[in-house]
Amino acid sequence: MSALVAQVHLAARRTLRQPGELAVRVTFYAVILVIFSALWSAATKANGGSIAGYTAHSLLWYVAAAEGSVIATKPRMIETIGWDISSGAIVTEMLRPASVVGLRLAAELGEAVVRLVASLAVGGVIVWLYVGPPPSAAGIALFVPASLLAVGCNLAAQHAFAGAAFWLRDARSTWFLYQKLVFLLGGMLLPLEFLPTGLADVAKALPFAAMAYAPARLASGHVEPWLLLVQAAWLVALLACAGGVFRAGERRLEVVGG
Amino acid sequence: MLAISTTELSKEFTAGRGRDRRRVEAVRDITFTVERGERLAYIGPNGAGKSTSIKMLTGILHPTRGEATVLGLVPWTQRRELARRIGTLFGQRSQLWFELTTRQTLHLLARIYRLDAGDARRRTDELAQLLDATDLIDQPVRSLSLGQRMRCELAATVLHGPEVLFLDEPTIGLDLIAKQRFREMVVRLNEERGTTVFLTSHDVADIEHVADRVVVINHGTIIYDDQVGRMRRSLLQTKLLEVRFEEAPGAVEIDGVQVTHESDTVYGLVVDTRRVSVREVLDDLLDNYAIADISVVDPPLEQVISEIYEGRT
Repeated sequence: MSALVAQVHLAARRTLRQPGELAVRVTFYAVILVIFSALWSAATKANGGSIAGYTAHSLLWYVAAAEGSVIATKPRMIETIGWDISSGAIVTEMLRPASVVGLRLAAELGEAVVRLVASLAVGGVIVWLYVGPPPSAAGIALFVPASLLAVGCNLAAQHAFAGAAFWLRDARSTWFLYQKLVFLLGGMLLPLEFLPTGLADVAKALPFAAMAYAPARLASGHVEPWLLLVQAAWLVALLACAGGVFRAGERRLEVVGG
Repeated sequence: MLAISTTELSKEFTAGRGRDRRRVEAVRDITFTVERGERLAYIGPNGAGKSTSIKMLTGILHPTRGEATVLGLVPWTQRRELARRIGTLFGQRSQLWFELTTRQTLHLLARIYRLDAGDARRRTDELAQLLDATDLIDQPVRSLSLGQRMRCELAATVLHGPEVLFLDEPTIGLDLIAKQRFREMVVRLNEERGTTVFLTSHDVADIEHVADRVVVINHGTIIYDDQVGRMRRSLLQTKLLEVRFEEAPGAVEIDGVQVTHESDTVYGLVVDTRRVSVREVLDDLLDNYAIADISVVDPPLEQVISEIYEGRT
């Protein structure tokens, strides 16, 4: 456990020491927020003040939370992990007396938490200035652990998906698929309530909803604590899945040459 | 006491795709043992199966068939347990975190290996001194030269005091001085701590300076296994003579001797010791020519090894 904590700590420090990368990412996030703020404000106004129960006020807090939770993880992580597996770079990690996926998750978590805090701090200020304070203090209080659970679910799921490279030897197509699933079915682009009823129900039952929709729903003023339980359950399941995929994959790893 | 033992260890890979898909045997029925404290060079041409063997012995690859134990453990079923007791360095793959300093890397590795914090600090300082890396240890790994990085890689490999050290082409890309330094460090670790060394390298000097035994593998099979000195003696069927005559000798014709090069008064000769002894050649030269100087040397180990690779021995 102490190795994982040390890994999280070092990764967080490392990210803080690269302010340039952090600044670019936060700026990108801020630009997206400004665009969405204008877009959703216009859309809700045109729709009589709300869409599917979301006002412009709650919708902008939703977008800030959803984008911030997802943008905290590396955009091409699946591709990178896949390359490490298919190129054999992962062998040096297999030589350590610790879980390969555990150490990788810890490093990614350390980096993601720093990005999450930086993004949400900037996003919170932008949205506050644009539409005022969060719709619900209780919702925001629940959002804090929910955003961390969202990042955890996202990281675990990306590792599970990337593990496909042990079999496919290439994770690029997996990354493409995953990105689209989080974007659409995770509620990152728009609240799941905006989707047709049947599709929304399916999306809410999938793990992607735990990565964007759940924290964003809470931040948008819907005080639904059970969402945290759903996220926690998905986190356990996804961690088990990532661990299982890596364990099985490591057994069948084929690396030829030095 | 045995450090490594293998019995008919074999590994097949799947190569190609679709219709070209086929099984390739990278390692075939290798059987050998390594005593604790031995320094073994495990050599062979490219694609011989050296790295595949190391990856099986460190538990990364599962063999297709056969058995192996390292320090009494089965590597592929007890990989993490074994990892605490061995150190592995791949010359072509870094185990350091490039964004961290070496000290931070060693700190993290100490946690992974569950070393006591005080012991880890003491050992880090000791290794920095031993590897002459005190000025490097607080620099980010990404800013180190290859030679400097390899010293830090070695520090990371031996931090936890491994009983067996697997070195897979550790000196690749290093300059002459860095290579020499690296070899000295490995020998020192072996002599001071009794660490068993299992080395693969294409550099004959690594074998000469580090190993006391050599195992040659080719096409996945062990084709030679002996002490380095004995290999040199038993396989040498030639001696090289460098002769400086007092005046140009004209043609040098001695049975069993071949002239390899000549320039005015200096001649290079190869003596086929199966046909004529060096003593007979020396007598012949001294009796028939005015000699200023003679030196007798063994052919380079490189030549001996290439003859083994080509099956000419």
